[in-house]
Amino acid sequence: MAFLLNCPNCGERNVHEFRFGGEATSRPVPNSTPDEWLSYFYNRGNVAGVQREWWNHRYGCRKWFLALRDTVSNQIQETFWP
Amino acid sequence: MVVAGAEIPPPPLTKAMANNSHDQRLKPQPAELIDRNKCVEFQFDGQRVNAHQGDTVASALHAAGVSILSRGFKYHRPRGLLCGVGRCPNCLVNVDGVPNVRACTQQVRQAMNVQHQNAWPSLNLDFLSVLDRLQWLMPVGFYYKAFHRPKFIWGLAQRVIRRIGGLGTIDIDADSVTNYRHRYQHSDVAVVGGGPAGLAAALTAAEQGVGVTLVDDQPELGGHLLFNSRNLRGLPDLVDGSGPEVANRLIQRVTKSPHIEVLSGATVFAHYQDNLLTILHGDELVKLRARGVVLATGAYEVPLQFQNNDLPGIMLATAAQRLIHLYAVKPGNTAVVATVNDQGYQAALDLLNAGVDVAAVVDVRPTFSHGLEAATALISRGVPLLAGHAITHATGKKRVRAVVVASQNAGSPDGSARRIACDLVCMAGGFQPANSLLQHAGGSLDYDEKSSEGIPHDLPNGVYVAGEVAGVHNLASTLLQGRLAGLEAARLVSGPGSIQEEIGRVRQRLNGLKAEPGSIPPSPVSAAPVSAPTESQVKKNFVCFCEDVTVKDVAQAIQEGFEDIQMLKRYSTATMGPCQGKMCLKALVGLCAQHTGRTISETGGTTARPPVQPIPLAALAGPSHMAVKRTPMDQSHRDLGASMVDLGPWQRAHSYGSPQEECLAVRQRVGIIDVTTLGKLEVTGRDAGVLLDRVYTHHFSNLRVGRIRYGLLCADNSTIMDDGTVTKLAEDRYFVTTTTGNVDLIEEWFKWWQAGTGSCAHITNVTSAYAAVNVAGPRARDTLSKLTDVDLSEQSFRYMRSAQGDVAGVPAMLLRIGFVGETGWEIHVPAEYGQHIWETIMEAGKEFGIAPFGLEAQRILRLEKKHVIVGQDTDADSNPLDSGMDWVVRFDKEDFIGREGLKLASERIPRNKLVGFIMQDGQVPEDGVPVVSGYKPIGKVTSARLSPTMNKGFGLAWVPAELAQDGTQISVLVNGEPRPAQVTLQPFYDPEGERLRQ
Repeated sequence: MAFLLNCPNCGERNVHEFRFGGEATSRPVPNSTPDEWLSYFYNRGNVAGVQREWWNHRYGCRKWFLALRDTVSNQIQETFWP
Repeated sequence: MVVAGAEIPPPPLTKAMANNSHDQRLKPQPAELIDRNKCVEFQFDGQRVNAHQGDTVASALHAAGVSILSRGFKYHRPRGLLCGVGRCPNCLVNVDGVPNVRACTQQVRQAMNVQHQNAWPSLNLDFLSVLDRLQWLMPVGFYYKAFHRPKFIWGLAQRVIRRIGGLGTIDIDADSVTNYRHRYQHSDVAVVGGGPAGLAAALTAAEQGVGVTLVDDQPELGGHLLFNSRNLRGLPDLVDGSGPEVANRLIQRVTKSPHIEVLSGATVFAHYQDNLLTILHGDELVKLRARGVVLATGAYEVPLQFQNNDLPGIMLATAAQRLIHLYAVKPGNTAVVATVNDQGYQAALDLLNAGVDVAAVVDVRPTFSHGLEAATALISRGVPLLAGHAITHATGKKRVRAVVVASQNAGSPDGSARRIACDLVCMAGGFQPANSLLQHAGGSLDYDEKSSEGIPHDLPNGVYVAGEVAGVHNLASTLLQGRLAGLEAARLVSGPGSIQEEIGRVRQRLNGLKAEPGSIPPSPVSAAPVSAPTESQVKKNFVCFCEDVTVKDVAQAIQEGFEDIQMLKRYSTATMGPCQGKMCLKALVGLCAQHTGRTISETGGTTARPPVQPIPLAALAGPSHMAVKRTPMDQSHRDLGASMVDLGPWQRAHSYGSPQEECLAVRQRVGIIDVTTLGKLEVTGRDAGVLLDRVYTHHFSNLRVGRIRYGLLCADNSTIMDDGTVTKLAEDRYFVTTTTGNVDLIEEWFKWWQAGTGSCAHITNVTSAYAAVNVAGPRARDTLSKLTDVDLSEQSFRYMRSAQGDVAGVPAMLLRIGFVGETGWEIHVPAEYGQHIWETIMEAGKEFGIAPFGLEAQRILRLEKKHVIVGQDTDADSNPLDSGMDWVVRFDKEDFIGREGLKLASERIPRNKLVGFIMQDGQVPEDGVPVVSGYKPIGKVTSARLSPTMNKGFGLAWVPAELAQDGTQISVLVNGEPRPAQVTLQPFYDPEGERLRQ
């Protein structure tokens, strides 16, 4: 992995400056069923294609943002604030 | 008389080692790289070798008449110079203790110590060369099929193979500290390759005002122009001249350009996404990011296949040309040149001019190129040209002595074979484009059936090619293509504008050049490898010189069913050695196509992966710079004789002598510990409380200002992440402490939830801003009262309260908490005052018998209080309910991170629980030993120590839930034997917490 990632705050930087935060999931509301919770805890889409995911600019502004990345080609389509 | 310290000089290189009795150095050559005024002396296998500055180890040895440079990988056959440019495995030597250095690119240094490798006892006499006669024992893929029966034989064979396999050996006692540095560089345009295409690309891009980094792996720019003695005519916008003359004109412009930075002797070993090039440049690993990349990497000349084609004295035509033109070394005395294209004719002419007799030029093509200047010159000088012929085998033991040449025409009588005596064979076996980097970048190749070269088909974004790598072997086209690539790369940076027109013009000229017949000499044609006569099927006819894979091996592997080129590669290991296919891929693909009846493009190629050239692992590892953090009180600890331990990046005092006595000092008098390393976060803002309520299992927004509460952080699935204290400093301001090693993680965790929920809260990591000490013990109050006006009395400053005030004259935050279970204060001061506060408190506590205590004593003290250390007593599977911390989980909160997971956990019957235990027989188990039933592990001790207050072994352990009852008897393994222990659910010391509230 050596691609460039565009931090919405700092601009285009080497991906090594960032921490990957995993695919963006949505947390169930309180009192959802156990299945919904367990799925949120342990199941991921693991798509081969464009994924909405979290990134943290660990060695930069230390802010979290979201990215749309193609998991096959590592092409970044867009980065944006949550 | 023996003079102390005088070294006995090594003997000069003897004639026994050198096969030729006279110096092979030629008279000065116009483009030579050596400086004849500067002499360098080095050692080769303990013998003195004289060289000139600018020589490579191989050129110097060749000049001295040494032709064996190494021994083959498998059969230990003698090997000599083959490629002369750092691609092949034939000249790997050990230089000053560094194994696998290529002698043909390693420049000589005064007093360097060069030693052979992979031969015993010497290169000339290698006992392992007996393997050459044991070929029948080692067919292709022998390690998959031999030595399996009887069973014990594998163990034996494995030991032998491991011992004799491999190339150079690493000196494991050598200093492991490396001097490799890593550097990041950014450039508008990167040009890889300093030959004519690369020079043209760099110059053109620089003319457009963009910054260019030109990277070339040779000591001097110029590529093959440097050893091209032909008079070059008709070049675009360049005066006619010899190769070196043309090169010099281009190089001068490059060095004058303010926009071009040149990295010479630098290997680009990989291309990664978004045009990241990794470059090894001396002792520096450069990570170069460029907007546009021009690959002008050229092509590798490849060897021909005939029996004994690996004998020393058999080398690539370009290797001989390099020896002559760059190092002024005569490659041999009598040569045979075997060629598949026009390249060989020029090489033959160069040999003649260098005083080498050329016994014949053998061209595999049915007719040789008419009108070729070099051919005409050769004929006029009486060199026999044999068209439609090829070498079938070579003879000789330590150097080639003769070759047998036979006609390639079908039906020609066997009698056509003739023997030609020679001590040098130059192989012009055609070219293989150096397209590995292009493949890394994701470019695809089309295979040209005629030349069997992979021609770039689809270029990745931002990557351009020029010259031989693109299958262009004509200099005029190469130069124009270089220009075009340079312009296109520059356009990425400066936008179309005027560049667009210029691109159109260059493209037109390039097309014109192609359209004009006769203006380009026919491009070199290479034939498929010569189909070997049947008798040589059993003989050594090498495809892969690195791994000693022969034509026969390849044929057999294909017969065994490994028909796919990728499978064939893995099974035969051809292309998998140090050259990574540079010498052999073309032949392997050709053979595979031939034996499977497919075309070259149907056969395809193998996948090129980084690194293109072997590089030392130390270069990838880079410098060892472990970050070390020291607290402001570090020197005080050392002065007190503390033993220090690494805790993450921090160094902490482990103990000042006796942890047991330090514990007693805290329990009976007063102790002080440096807790600067605690992670510290400040959480501020309107929603600070809301955020903390969300991430912690406990309530915080309802905390009153000035109060402290213990907090536990869980992941959403209920597992424990971290713990610490939260102090409310103001309605919208909280001070949070975390475990030493977890602060970055927790900072990111808080910020993640802040970002995800959009709450108005700001998280600031203030870990290094504050120094902190914990002063604890029955006399802590007496000690601190001397230093502060803050009322520390039991009534005014109660347990889990905080206050701000001056301590020892500096602003401080006092937190009354009790990790070690005694009356005590955690005092945070600006880091600058750390040492001051430590020393002042130590002085003030003297009369009360104050003692510094370290990490080890703190661990014992907290264990007596049954305070859990996250990560030590819990793991990634522990939740607070099973860890005995139910009291900190507030299900009455509507939602918090981990609530649902904990709810689900609370409905399950837990399997294991964390309990305290006291040893019944005076033993002290080690951390991590199992809790056993009989000898069967049923649980695990997480922390165990000798308690100075109980004078017994005790600790925390995970045990099956049914055993988690007060008073249950369990067994703990101590020194391999089960020992009795009793479960205790209460804290071992002061279970009611009376002492820490006093």
